[in-house]
Amino acid sequence: MAIAVMALVGLFIAFYLLAHALGWTGSLLCGLGDCERVQQSRYSSIGPVPVAAVGVAGYAVMLVTSVLGIQPGYRESRAVSWLLLIGGTVGFGFSLYLTYLEGAVIHAWCQWCVASAVLMTLIFLTSLPETRRLRRA
Amino acid sequence: MTRFYWVLGIVAVLGLGLVGYQVAAHRAGGAATQPVDLKGLDDPAALMRAAQGITKGSPDAPVTIIEFGDYECPACGEFTLQIQPQVEKAYVATGKAKLVFYDYPLVSIHAGSFIAARAARCANDQDRFWQFHSELYRKQNDWVAKANPISAFVGYAKSLGMDGGAFQHCLESDRHADVVTADMRLAQQLGLNSTPTIMVGLAKGMPRRLGEDFSFKAVKALVDQVLAEADSAKANGAKADTAAAGGR
Repeated sequence: MAIAVMALVGLFIAFYLLAHALGWTGSLLCGLGDCERVQQSRYSSIGPVPVAAVGVAGYAVMLVTSVLGIQPGYRESRAVSWLLLIGGTVGFGFSLYLTYLEGAVIHAWCQWCVASAVLMTLIFLTSLPETRRLRRA
Repeated sequence: MTRFYWVLGIVAVLGLGLVGYQVAAHRAGGAATQPVDLKGLDDPAALMRAAQGITKGSPDAPVTIIEFGDYECPACGEFTLQIQPQVEKAYVATGKAKLVFYDYPLVSIHAGSFIAARAARCANDQDRFWQFHSELYRKQNDWVAKANPISAFVGYAKSLGMDGGAFQHCLESDRHADVVTADMRLAQQLGLNSTPTIMVGLAKGMPRRLGEDFSFKAVKALVDQVLAEADSAKANGAKADTAAAGGR
């Protein structure tokens, strides 16, 4: 349940960054750091795909999977547990990489990216007990 | 379970509201993205006064190289990034010519070219016109794809050391829309229908237009021709002065 709520918050953050990347909105609301510098850097997209779009997709998968996991027929589903675990781990790893880029390569911080990284870390930590469930099953 | 869906619902509503508000509040807003209504420009003298090119080089240089350009036009980008540096080295740095850039945003086919022209003028307010001008062409493929390029422009401004807040304030207003519109009207009055249009001339008289070949060789040929004519006119003037002095 907690993963679903965090994934939903993350989804909105990623969507806000995606709206900015697509030019649907002007400058980012950025009280801390230098969001524009991060968002204009060459690391803000992977080829033609904005990193924010990857975030939207990732959070959407985590949200759908976690909501599915609390439905009566899926509570003991190994597939759901695996998906949450893999999604949480990949998301956490990707967030670590992006945070490294901000701190060591771009030398600027974007508050929204940091917030997303914190959320992904919490999602990862919350998904860890799934390993126990998998071992039990 | 019901409480979970309530929490999820509240987060969804809050998130939608906040993101929706941010997107709506920071859209292009009051930014002028299209030509504005200007009265009195049917008079050629008034139009000449209202249109303002941006000059690079010595104001006393005998030859003027004029460009009418559009920031979304790829050929203008090639001219600015590849040919202009050679022209600057050969003629502007040596004091033989000055460059003057006039905006000619082809708004019917390039949706972002008007606001890009205004952005360059906002950069000019902070004495960074030419750097921003080149940056717009260098990053053309990035910002042209955006529905609202304002934040990209603010990013470029900051990367060039400008005051991002002042730049954004300028861009999100209608500042310089009048000058860009006047430049456009001038280009239309001159019968220009493509960009870049390069013209080379002296202080007086109608400048000559370069053909469709924008290579440095072609620019050089025309500039050298105009320079030779300027030298010859100067020599003839000196001869006439000597003759007049001798006749006295």
